[in-house]
Amino acid sequence: MSGELLNDPAALDAGARDALERFILSLADGKRLLGIRYSDWLLGAPSIEAGIAASSMCQDEWGHARLLYAMLKDFGRDPVAVEHDRPAEAYANPCVLDRPAEDWAELVSFMVLVDGALSTVLEGFAAGRWELATSRVPKMLAEEAFHRDLGTAWYARLAGGSAEAQERLRTSTERMLPRLLAWLDPDDEDAHVLAGAGLAAEGARNRERFAEAVGPSLALLEIDVATVEPDRADWDATRRRGPGRPDDDAVERARGDRNRALFVE
Amino acid sequence: MAQLSTASAGTAVRLPGLPAGIPAHVRSHASGGRDLWSAPLPAAPSDATAEAWRCLGEVLDPEIPISLVELGLIYGLEVEDGVARVRVTFTATACPCMEFIREDIRDRLEREPWIRAVEIEEVWDPPWTNARITPAGREKLRALGVGVAR
Repeated sequence: MSGELLNDPAALDAGARDALERFILSLADGKRLLGIRYSDWLLGAPSIEAGIAASSMCQDEWGHARLLYAMLKDFGRDPVAVEHDRPAEAYANPCVLDRPAEDWAELVSFMVLVDGALSTVLEGFAAGRWELATSRVPKMLAEEAFHRDLGTAWYARLAGGSAEAQERLRTSTERMLPRLLAWLDPDDEDAHVLAGAGLAAEGARNRERFAEAVGPSLALLEIDVATVEPDRADWDATRRRGPGRPDDDAVERARGDRNRALFVE
Repeated sequence: MAQLSTASAGTAVRLPGLPAGIPAHVRSHASGGRDLWSAPLPAAPSDATAEAWRCLGEVLDPEIPISLVELGLIYGLEVEDGVARVRVTFTATACPCMEFIREDIRDRLEREPWIRAVEIEEVWDPPWTNARITPAGREKLRALGVGVAR
């Protein structure tokens, strides 16, 4: 992608402006929900070290979400209201994050596949024309390198482990992969507008880069990402995600409902 | 403390090759090391920006016992007409000390009567890595037994 950098939504036509706002919210909500899913495993991971790693990763994800939500200020959105006052039905996270990981194998799939998909799309955002993305996202991606290393190592460990470990990893991978491919390549109007304006990568390009990133891990289970079809059934273009909504507990934690009386800004 | 180990009888002993005693900047428990900050200049210096850099060189990171300048967090600083404009980054996007750092920067600079306002801009480009720690900062960390990979 090339072209002059942009930093004012007013420089975009209405379609691109609205699409970019939805896109940023989708990334921010994805980071926020992924952080919550990681946080469920601070205790109860297979080892203390793995729990500490989950702790660090959830902190990173929330840091990234904070920076992404702040980008919405330029679109006239109040980041405080966006973070603390939306109903579950307004969340724009990838639908595979709507419920907690059932076991450690599913969390490892979150590390490799969901975190990998978010990083793939963020790489395209950082390479585009939105100036704030070019300046903020590289730091996020630098932090994500550690997530990738950990996720890849755990994926290989489980893929080479017991039959049960392999089966659990395969189940979670096959469950989320079609929906994630749709998230990477929605093939909707927003995606085409953003790619056309040089603000985000083409969906097909996202899928290629994602396959390059996670393909070696999935090959350990003899899963070929190139043969998996995206599941775009009931795609919600307004929220840039599949159908459904995150569970109430996650949304209450994301909004900080129990701390509302203590909230200061 | 990194330079001390505890003997079996509970007596602190000094590790070989490290300086005696704990440096003042490590003993400080005041936010930003403010109990070690120098007195303000009574009048405006000839080079306000250079003096402001010196002031920020006294502000300690909340978690790592070297200054924000030595840690490489200050990406820009200039003083113009009494307004100090600071460009600061953080070691991590979820750094839990962001507000402390901002407050320490502001408090240190506003001690100076020739600075009437402080504007702080948060920046992330280029991303901070430990390669930005200055040689002086590395030397202080080394003296505390903390190695920094390049």
